[in-house]
Amino acid sequence: MVKDKYPPKKVRIPRAELFSRWCFTILLLLASILVLVPLLNLLALSLSDPSRVSEVRGLTIVPKGFSLINYKVLYANPLFMRSILNSVFITIVGTALNLIVTSMAAFALTRPKLPFKRFFMVLTIVIMILEPPLVAEYLVIKKIGLMGSLWAVILYKTVNVYYLIIMMRYFEEIPSSLIEAAEVDGATNMTILRNIVFPLSKSAFATIGLFYGVFHWNEYFRASIYLTDPMKYPLQLILRQFVVLDDTASLIGSGALYSYNEAARLSYNALQASTIIVAILPVLIIYPLVLKYYTRGVMEGGVKE
Amino acid sequence: MHSLSKKKDWGLVLLLAPALIYFLVYHIIPILGMSMAFQDYRIIGKSPFVGLKHFRILFSSPAFFQVLRNTLIISFMKIILYFPLPIIFALMLNEVRSGFIRKFIQSTTYLPHFLSWVVIAGIWIAFLSPTNGGFNQLRGFFGLPPHDYMTDKSAIRWVLFASEAWRSMGWDSIIYLAALIAISPSLYESADLDGASTLQKMRFITLPELLPTMVTVFILNMGFFLNAGFDQVFNMMNDSVISVIDILDTYVYRIGLVNMQYSFSTAASLFKGVIGLMLIVSAHCGSKKITGKGLW
Repeated sequence: MVKDKYPPKKVRIPRAELFSRWCFTILLLLASILVLVPLLNLLALSLSDPSRVSEVRGLTIVPKGFSLINYKVLYANPLFMRSILNSVFITIVGTALNLIVTSMAAFALTRPKLPFKRFFMVLTIVIMILEPPLVAEYLVIKKIGLMGSLWAVILYKTVNVYYLIIMMRYFEEIPSSLIEAAEVDGATNMTILRNIVFPLSKSAFATIGLFYGVFHWNEYFRASIYLTDPMKYPLQLILRQFVVLDDTASLIGSGALYSYNEAARLSYNALQASTIIVAILPVLIIYPLVLKYYTRGVMEGGVKE
Repeated sequence: MHSLSKKKDWGLVLLLAPALIYFLVYHIIPILGMSMAFQDYRIIGKSPFVGLKHFRILFSSPAFFQVLRNTLIISFMKIILYFPLPIIFALMLNEVRSGFIRKFIQSTTYLPHFLSWVVIAGIWIAFLSPTNGGFNQLRGFFGLPPHDYMTDKSAIRWVLFASEAWRSMGWDSIIYLAALIAISPSLYESADLDGASTLQKMRFITLPELLPTMVTVFILNMGFFLNAGFDQVFNMMNDSVISVIDILDTYVYRIGLVNMQYSFSTAASLFKGVIGLMLIVSAHCGSKKITGKGLW
């Protein structure tokens, strides 16, 4: 992540400086703990034995007893399981579409041969800074018949102009002689994009793919206004109803929960905690990759100025 | 060769086409749809032109001014009060010499940036819960009674501030950390030889080197002053505190898509859009002028 560039010092470090260094370290570790404790607490709550859940307090980070009952209940809930599938579908299809459309546009916009290049560049900037009114967007989606369809959610932010511009910066680094040589050989634009530009900017695709992927996984608002059938809801929307709005009927009311004998003993809080953990899990899984690409990208961008 | 590269290639427009269709559906047509702010929107039939009617209602409505006030207060807290936090964070992190500890701090504090506001609201509602939340347990250690912050009008804006800092402080510090690492170590070494104190090094080396980054970040954030964070407010809002944290974007959503006053909501959007556009363009120009880096 961050390169270690502090060589051992020859100068003796004054005691005051050493002291402040330790204070800083402790303060920052406190910040880490502040992030970790609420997360570990929810994990502990979700894994605790239902009979001992009441022993789990706000700062408890180790489960009391052990039980997977909360996750089993969620697993048995058709609405919940369906929402995971929906989220996975939206994320994978959405991200693939994002990368294809964004890279095609970025490639076209970086080629000097693009007709009306200036016009298209200005248009892109205008799109970036003009925010369309929510109601007007809603009415357009309604009019073209995408209402109630997962596609209304998937297609939202097909091209994020900020990412488009980042991708253009990467493409501009590719020597134009490579592309021109391919053109002379009669390669089509798509071939050049696939066989020359893509292999040379894999890290751009990885970084921007992660940006888009996290965006799709976390999206709930467009889903809440465009989807009408709860069986199409993504996980984040179910989570919002169940945890943020505290709406028991949305999950528990769908029946499956009561088929469990233990249901009466289950803690509502523990079930909410499990839902949150499930929603965080995919982010945690790709997080090492995020740290590798994303953070390095931001660091390098900052250094280059 | 040169004449060949000058010939326009219409095939490239084809590559651009999918993006253009997306822009058309999700951006251009909705932006043209702003005209309904000057009409009484009808689902069936022609919408009659009513001029500035909706703007007159908007500007004579006390609710709108409360919303505007909330937006400005919350933005002030999240942009101006919050501003030094990531800088302090980066300065402290830069002093941590152990690579392992530094990586641990970074990996944990960057994480919340990737969680959705739905998840974060869930975490914070649990953490601040008056019955079994971690924060109230901490209060208990100091002999204080539990307090329900999520429904307390005088506390909720600070909850927004704190949860924003919790989510973003680590992540936002990266840009400063990058600038700190770029400072040449020889500057510090020669200052050490001259016997400069930690504070003097901070005042005469570190801060001047960080200034361009600070100016860029600050100015660009000012461009988004009217946003105040829809997703955060939307997920942390409840009936007890709506009057103090209802912001322009949540207001536009509620009157537009919940109450279905399409034209009125669009008028409010247009108001926000015009002021926002002026802010963004001046932020961009200001930043370009001072630091040479803008939004585009």
